[in-house]
Order: sequence, then structure tokens, then C-alpha cells
Amino acid sequence: MTAVRLSPASAAAPALGVVLALVPLFAPHNITVLNLGFFTFLYVAQGLAWNILGGFAGYVSFGYAAFFGLGAYTTALLWLHGWAPVLTFPLAGLCAAAFSLVVGVPTLRLIGPYFSIATIGVGEAMRILMLNLDNITGGASGLNLPTVVPSKGWFYLAALVVAAVAYVTAVWVRGSRFGLGLAALRMDPDAAETLGVRTALFKNVAHVISAFLVGVCGGLFAMYFQYLHPDNVFSFTESISLVLIALIGGIGTIWGPILGAAVFFAVQDYLQTSYPTFHLLVYGVLLIVILLFEPRGLAGLAARIAGRRRVPAPIAVTPAAPGTVAPPSTPGGAS
Amino acid sequence: MFTAQNLISICITSILTAGLYAVMSYGLAIIYGVMKVINLSNAGFLMLGAFMTLVYSQAWHLDPIAGAFLNMPIFFVVGWIVYVSLVRRVRQALPIASLLMLFGLWLVLQNVALAVWGSEDQSIITRYTYKALAFFDYRIAVTRLVVFAVALAVMAILHVVLNHTYVGKALRATVQDPQAALLAGIDTERISALAFGIGTAFAGFAGGLMTLQFSFTPDFGASFQLKSFTIIVLGGLENLAGVTIGAAILAFAESFAVLFMRASLQNVVAYALLVIALIVMPGGVASMFGRRS
Amino acid sequence: MSPPAADFPAATMTSSPLVLEHVTKRFGGLVAVENVTVAVEPGKITGLIGPNGAGKTTIFSVISGHLAPTAGRVVALGHDITGWSPHAVCRLGLCVTHQIVRPFPDLSVLENVMVGAGFGGGARVAAGGARREAMAVLDFTGLAARAGQPASALTLAQRKRLEIARALATRPSVLLLDEVLAGLTPSEVAQALTLVREICARGITIVMIEHVMHAVMNLSHRVLVLNYGRLIADGTPAEVTANREVIEAYLGTASDDMVAGESAGRRSDGAEETPHD
Repeated sequence: MTAVRLSPASAAAPALGVVLALVPLFAPHNITVLNLGFFTFLYVAQGLAWNILGGFAGYVSFGYAAFFGLGAYTTALLWLHGWAPVLTFPLAGLCAAAFSLVVGVPTLRLIGPYFSIATIGVGEAMRILMLNLDNITGGASGLNLPTVVPSKGWFYLAALVVAAVAYVTAVWVRGSRFGLGLAALRMDPDAAETLGVRTALFKNVAHVISAFLVGVCGGLFAMYFQYLHPDNVFSFTESISLVLIALIGGIGTIWGPILGAAVFFAVQDYLQTSYPTFHLLVYGVLLIVILLFEPRGLAGLAARIAGRRRVPAPIAVTPAAPGTVAPPSTPGGAS
Repeated sequence: MFTAQNLISICITSILTAGLYAVMSYGLAIIYGVMKVINLSNAGFLMLGAFMTLVYSQAWHLDPIAGAFLNMPIFFVVGWIVYVSLVRRVRQALPIASLLMLFGLWLVLQNVALAVWGSEDQSIITRYTYKALAFFDYRIAVTRLVVFAVALAVMAILHVVLNHTYVGKALRATVQDPQAALLAGIDTERISALAFGIGTAFAGFAGGLMTLQFSFTPDFGASFQLKSFTIIVLGGLENLAGVTIGAAILAFAESFAVLFMRASLQNVVAYALLVIALIVMPGGVASMFGRRS
Repeated sequence: MSPPAADFPAATMTSSPLVLEHVTKRFGGLVAVENVTVAVEPGKITGLIGPNGAGKTTIFSVISGHLAPTAGRVVALGHDITGWSPHAVCRLGLCVTHQIVRPFPDLSVLENVMVGAGFGGGARVAAGGARREAMAVLDFTGLAARAGQPASALTLAQRKRLEIARALATRPSVLLLDEVLAGLTPSEVAQALTLVREICARGITIVMIEHVMHAVMNLSHRVLVLNYGRLIADGTPAEVTANREVIEAYLGTASDDMVAGESAGRRSDGAEETPHD
């Protein structure tokens, strides 16, 4: 159903995936590479998931850390009660998904920027709440988890699998009737409704799907890191990382979050020695530059260099042509 | 705990806090009112205002209040420049674009401050920092009173400017109806730049003022950002006078909430109010919803 | 005040695909639509005219579910659809086009129509089916050649056609057209009229809001006239044009509307519409 948007680049991803999967075979003891790979894949997954709501449906959420954290703590608590961690992952996802429904139904009724602000509030509220639920989360001293047997190579592959699942999900959504509906409701919710798109339902489904994936990532992270603290997993920094990854990579595309995550972690790794959050400074600048010059992000830049047909970005405006009205700058929207 | 004395004490604190909250939120309100842009960099300028005041204090022993006033013209210029170079270019794009861009700016400001000043808590001590006034049975910190008085004075000046000068009226006209303002001959682009400058000036001013009451780090501002937004939503988004109401509501809600919950949960009150206000509140908030009924 | 009795075969409440019963819509103190009662004839073209601001588009918004009426009922295709959400109304088989055409800018022409085909009324359509249906509709409306182009590249006349195509793809039984002729050149108007007739010939009930008088009078089997939110006339085109109250209602804006409607390019919403081929 996609017709025009599946590119050769999307088909190259599975090939890349296979190549990446072989790395632990050839470098089983290169901890640096395996660690970097783990985090990159984990955030590719989260970026792709976030993009389903943020890029396809156009609802930019600054509060996804809530889902990551919930997933992480679900796994952690079940693990402490004797569950095998891997078995907890689906539940971690479900817990995050359930929460996304509770939060999403009221807030997704808001238009763009207001939804975004609301998500900041929700995300931060969750962090503070979790910090204060000492008996469950260990509060300010954090939660220690049992040591694990799987090697770094195992985690690398596990994260790659999760990333692959996220990739397949994103591609499927994009090419489906559901994805078309999301695109329509992003561009013009009133017109989409008029044509029969159940905008409220679709938004929430997108939210739930992406929250589930992010929850699973949180669970995997808990197993890997073996120590959880609300200020880590529920942090605003975690939330904005996802926004940055998707935006800078190219919001609304498939390769965007992939590129974005890769670059994000490469930059973070490289700048580690300077000072801890320097990569955020770089990203702030990149964000501004991108919004000014190339709203389609790195993926858009690559497409432009490759000379491909221009595909407008979800967050830019299409140049007004005779007979249409430019998208409104007021929150109420035209009708 | 629920004694009359305690309750009155909380009321006093609330009123004083409300004054500060109002000044802190006016910048955001003006920018939003005039150009419907949510300025997420407000927090950054708030923080920068605090740090600049620190610099003045360390270099010239300038009192924070004087520092706050000194910030005004400087931040006005900075705001104007930010508008002209950045915000104006994304205004025709979707509203989310300007939000994200200003968010990027906030990230930059925050991390530049981190690089320059590090992450330790800073505070400014003045001669009167630890003093308190006795008012019947209550002791009120002098700093709080001073902040409140100055905030009140500045808001009074703002009120006069908005209602009795051409610029002020042009500003209010643009808030009410940008199209009509344009037709009336008002240069809405200039007004927008002006509004952004004023908004940023207020942020810098408020930041300076806040050094009297709080210690600060480069992360300072994040929670205040959300509180400011809560306040303007509560007050009815396009209603500049409503800011004082919103500030009062939030201040009282926060102060009284401490009677029922842990102090560390206090910020959750603001966030909860924000989300609830966004979803439920009539008036300006109704325009935030996609479907009218 | 009830309109003069019309000379029609009885369009009883039950056989009519669209019935408005005492529909009123108030915005605060402003009454946009007042006590409108009408039963639309199935399979025919009904024109809806009236001076600017008479409430015509508001009525469409109430019918389509974008606005809830302050009072009254809307019954369509056997269901009381008062207060239904727009998507539910569309899935029932009633679709409305917009006065200001807004194609989905990032989608191609084909994809635009596929949204209608994929989600519209009737049985759910599989992905492949939606594409086929969309192409068929594009063929019918003469836009097939532009299927792959971005919707933003179309001229105004083509966008209007796309708007209709999109609505048609939802397999409607009732189609509400809001000023589809505004801003078109005479030849484009003629093409659009042909299209509307062809749609009607397929059995779809059409209600059209129009300012282009000669077109409405030529095309419609029946004309409803709205003024200040009230229905002031209901009859054949001949009856309505001779109606004294209708003439009085238009006297203030007479020259614009009574003359052939090419000058209807200037819009109260400020959008510049430059008709061109």
C-alpha cells in the first residue's frame, strides 16, 4: 500500500542486520564494541518505536522515559521475585503499554505542542513518584539486581533482536492502512475524520504499540545494568534522547531513528572524556540547525545528497499553493 | 498541624510565592500570547539570569535586585536577536517546530552554563539573606518580602505599559487578534520581536530575583518552566491578567498540599495541575482541542 | 416560518437519506442555524444557497458531525446521527467536502484518495482493494494521470476534483459538496458540473452549497434557500428564483451572485484563489 515510499535503503536494513549479528562471532571479547552495540541497538529500537507516534502520527512526546522506566522496574521486581528475566520482557512491555493507555486517552486529545508539554509533566511526575515509592523502587538508593550469567555478546544480540522487531513493526505500520490513517491524521485530523479515519483510536493504538516496545527495552536494560535508580531510567534526559534521535536522524522515516541512534551514541562515546553531557550541547545545536535548514534530519540530508525526490518533512510546512491555506499557527487549528 | 496559625502562615507564604511565580511566568505568557509560541528556552534564560546575577555579585558586589534589573535590557536584546535569527524562520512551519527549536536552545543554554560554571549549587548571600521580619506572630524572611515587593512593582509597571502606551496596546491587540492588528497597521513582526525580547527580559529579571530565594545549578529552571506553563494555562492562555490568578492558584495549591503529602512530592502538584488544566479547563484551553462541540 | 410547500413526490421521512429535524446551532449569543427542518430527496441534486454567512457551511458541519447541534436531530440513512463523530458518519455513508480544499500535502494524489477508499463506508476493504478502488475513482474523476504526483502540485481545479474524488472513495450514499465551483474558470465549472451529474447518475444523493447561481439552478432538482440561519424557501429552481423573499435576501449582494459566478473568486476567509488551467 505504500507505493512511493519504500526505498532500496529499507531493503538494505535486513542485510545490515545480518552483518551486525555476526560481529560477536568475530570479536567475542571486545567489550567496548559489544557495549556500544548494545546501547545503540537498544536506542535504535526505542527511536523507531517513538517514531511511530512522534513521526508517523505527529505527536511529539517528551515523556517516554515513563515507559522505559516502567518496563525496567517491572522486569526488576519480577526478577527479584524469582522470575527468569527474559520471561518478564513481554510483561514489561504490557505494563508500559497499559500506562500509555491511561495517559494517552486524555492527553492525545490535545493538539501538538500542548500534548508535548503535557508529556513533560507526566514524565517528570512519574520520576518523582517513583523516587518516593521507596518500598517498591528502592527510592533514592536504587534497586540492586542479581548478577547475570549471559555474556555481553548475548546482550548485544538480544538488543539487536529487539531492534529488529522494532524495525519490522515500524515498516509494517508505515506500509499498512493503519499507517496511512496515521499520516492522514497527522497532516489534517479534521479531513481524516471526515474520510472515516478513527483518529482517536489510531492515535492511542500507535501510542500503545510504541510504549510496549520501549517497555521491553527498559526490561532488557534492567537485566543488563543490574541496578536501577529512578533518576536514571525515568529521567528527562532519557526522554529527550529519544526525541533527539528521531528528530536528528529524520522524523517520520524508517532510517531516521537508525541513523540518529548510531550517531547519537558515536558522538556520546567520543565526547565521553570531555564532560558528561557535552553530547547534549552538540545535540541542542544540531536540533536548531536541522530545524532551520533540513527538517528531515540526517536521513533527509542523505536523500538530498543522493538526489532523490523531495519528500516533505512532517514538521515543516508545504509551500502554500493557490487555493490552500497555510497550516495555522494557532493551537485551535482551522476547521 | 491544622492550627489557625499554621494555616495563616501557609497563606502568607503562598501569597509571597505567588508574586514570584507571576513575574516568572509573565515572559512566557507574553510570548505565547503574541505569537502562540511555547518558549521552552524560558527556563534557560531564567537560569542564565540567575547566573549573570551571580557574576555581577562576584565581580562588582552588585545586589541581586540591582542585578535582576540590569539583566532586563541585556536579555531584551538577546531575546530580540533570538527571535529574529531563529524563531521567525520557523514560524510558518507547524507550531511543534518552534517548540522543538526553542527546546534545542534550552539544551544549548543549559550545557553552556554547565561548561562555564560546573554543576555545583550556587547561591548569593546578601546582608539580609538570613534576616526575617516579625509580623504579629509570624516570621517572614526578608528576602521573600523583597522579592514580592519588587515583583509587584514590576507587574504594576507592566500593567501601565500594556494599558497606556501605544506599544502596550499594540501588543494586546496582537494577542487578541493578529489579523485585525495587521489590518490596523500594526507591524506584527516587530511586535513579535518586541514580545520575545520582553519575554526574555522578564525571564532574566525573574532569574535574578530568584537568586534571593533559591540556590541554583544549570539544571535550575526545568521545574519552573513547567510551573510557568501550568500558571498560564490556569490563568487562561491568552489572558495576561490571568497570570496572577494562575500564579496564586498554583502557589496556594502547592503550599497546602504539603499538609497532606511529603514535601518531595510538591512538584507533582504542579505537574498534575498542568495536565488536568490542559485537559479540563474551559476558556482559553478549549482552543487546544482538535474537535469542537 | 415554514417554507412554501414544494411540488415534489412525497419524500417521506423514512425514505429520505438525510433528514434535518428542527436543527438549531448557536455559538454563544449568535444563532447560526435556526430551526431547520428538511428531508432531502434520494438520488437527486439539492442545492443549498443563501447569502454569505447564512449558515450553510454550519449546517454541513452539523450533519457531518464536526459540530453538535444545539437542538434538533439529524437522521441519515436510517440512523439518528446527531452527535456522532465525523468518522462514524462517514462510515455510515455520508461524506462532506470542504469549502477550502485541503489535500493531504505529503501524500500523493493516489494516496489521498486511498485514505477515503481505505476507511470509508461499507465493508472494510483490504489494502490491495483500496488501491484499486482509489485508481477507479481517479479514473472517474479524470485525475488518473496525476496519480503519483504529490497533491501539493495540483492546480486549484484539480484539487477541487481531488477533494471530490477523496469523498467519492468513501463509497457514500450521500455527498455534501461545499462550494466546489468557487474560483473555477467557466470551462472548469462546466467540467465540474458534468462530474457532479455523473455522480448523481450513479445513484448518490447530492446536496451542494453554491454561489454560482446559474450552475445551481441548472443542476439542482430542488433548491433550499437559507438566510440568517433560517430556511426561507424550498422549491424548484424556477420557484425559488421567483420567490420574493429570496430576491430580497440577495438584494444587498445581488450583482455578485446573480451574475454568472466567475467573480466568486474573492473569499471571506481571505484565501486568494487564482483560477487557472
